[in-house]
Amino acid sequence: MLQVLIQGLLLSGLYALIAVGFTLIFSVGRVLNLAYGAYLLIGGYVYFHFAQTLGLPKFAGVALAGIFGCAMGVLKYQLLVKPLKGNHVAIEISSLILAVFLQYAVVFAFGDSSKILLPIIPGVERVAGAAIPYSNLFAAIASWIILIALWAYVRFTHMGRAMQAVSMDAKGAAISGIDANRVNMTTWAISGTLGAIAGVFFASYTQLYPGMWVAPLIVAVAVVIVGGIGSIMGTLLVAHIIGFLEVLTSSLIAPELRGVFTMVLIIAILVLRPQGLLGREEL
Amino acid sequence: MGLRWYHYVLWAAFIGGMFVLPEFVSRGTLRTLIFANFLAIFAISWDALSGRTGYISFGHTFLIGIGAYTTAILTKRFGVPVEVSIPLAVIATMIGGLIVLLPALRIRGSYFALVTLAMMELIYQLVQVIRPDLTGGTRGMSGLPTLTRGAANGYYMSVSLMLAIALSTWLLMRTRLGTALWAIGMNEDAVAGSGLSPTRLKMIAFLTSAFIAGLGGAVYIHYLGSIAPRALFDINFVFTIIVAALIGGAGTIVGPIIGAFFLTFLLEYLRPWLPGAERYMVYAGLALILYMVQPKGLASLVTDAAARLRRAP
Repeated sequence: MLQVLIQGLLLSGLYALIAVGFTLIFSVGRVLNLAYGAYLLIGGYVYFHFAQTLGLPKFAGVALAGIFGCAMGVLKYQLLVKPLKGNHVAIEISSLILAVFLQYAVVFAFGDSSKILLPIIPGVERVAGAAIPYSNLFAAIASWIILIALWAYVRFTHMGRAMQAVSMDAKGAAISGIDANRVNMTTWAISGTLGAIAGVFFASYTQLYPGMWVAPLIVAVAVVIVGGIGSIMGTLLVAHIIGFLEVLTSSLIAPELRGVFTMVLIIAILVLRPQGLLGREEL
Repeated sequence: MGLRWYHYVLWAAFIGGMFVLPEFVSRGTLRTLIFANFLAIFAISWDALSGRTGYISFGHTFLIGIGAYTTAILTKRFGVPVEVSIPLAVIATMIGGLIVLLPALRIRGSYFALVTLAMMELIYQLVQVIRPDLTGGTRGMSGLPTLTRGAANGYYMSVSLMLAIALSTWLLMRTRLGTALWAIGMNEDAVAGSGLSPTRLKMIAFLTSAFIAGLGGAVYIHYLGSIAPRALFDINFVFTIIVAALIGGAGTIVGPIIGAFFLTFLLEYLRPWLPGAERYMVYAGLALILYMVQPKGLASLVTDAAARLRRAP
């Protein structure tokens, strides 16, 4: 039981970090960034290349992953999202194409086979018969710190409040003198950074391979749908629901079914309560 | 339907051209053409659902997979002859189309795309776990009865199916129904306001798409002779279908066909230079550029050029 609790907490922390970057874009820009999973992919591989192949310090590797992710977010906003001018279908489709492009760019650069990341912090702690690697613990704690920092940023800084304003009513925000372009770009940059850092943690949690972007994308999608848009706390709560659901399913029923209830939850919520559990009334 | 003489001429030339093609090309090219035909069928099917109505489906292989698995299980496990199992598979897929329709009754836009993606992942995970004795689990099934032997026969089968589907969809979309579906993509409330039932129109579009997907999926499986869950319920497969429809031109019939042939041959010609999966990088990069330059696709580039020629005699 304790084992389930600990594993659930660790996984949920990671899921919250994965989902929050996606939620941010969805709330502020109203864009479904299907290339979000590719940020995680790139983050994981950047870390692998710099920290493991070139032998830089591990934290430099994580920082570089973040920088790459940030650059990708900004580039994507400038080159893809802005020229398409709010045509949501076009943005979603080009995001999907971009994600597949990045997947095969990774295949081109690093090969098709999966890589194993060395743990960020080696060592294992045993609690109640469950082995908890320090790096998973570190990932969960880091996720929590990042999430709290993000929450404070959105809540208390000028830029964060501008983000909230744009997410609630883009026209009203523009009338109040908020530069939507800058807000959007900042959001994309933050989202890219968070995605890439989450990618390092996620890759050390599972493994690093070119197709790894789909699973975290589905998790992010699930969290956004179930939680509803525009709430970091909602994201956190739902990430825990989904994380625990997966851990419980895989330990009580069968490991192969771990994702099934997540999907059922997504479909049920979408059909029964499309605005999400905690989201604002809007579609 | 406003059929003109040049419609007959163009269709006759197209159909005739496709049927004499095997006389001129090698057997390797023929196999590539077969895959292009199947991809064209799937792209037309996607386009019938998403291209016009604007309900973008990111899980279209959900439908193809239902058709494929139904006929595979029926023939392999229960010894049902192919002639019976394919129609049953089409019916099963149409029921699947109604399942996809359910969320489309309440949600629009991005949320619909998400729910279709979730449906695909759900069926992918379920197929491997629930009754693996029937579905073959993770490894799938092989040794299914095949419909044809040899490249030439496979080509004639796939091309006849593709042309039949293309022609009938084209005729269907020239009726007032096609216009109404376009209107749904533009403004659904206005359609409801004009006294048409968007629900009924969407149901027709979804059932048409499911019919084509089921038929195409079932025949495709009986051409390959094997089935595997990861090959079907894969986001890359969905990606290929969507890109084929969009590159060619969504909302047209020629568009998906052009797109499918263009992409299949692009991949084939890249093979000598990039033997591995890296080919998809070029493919996706090209698709992205084409899509950003002309979201309406290659078909509209062709019609634009034709219009310009006609204007400057």
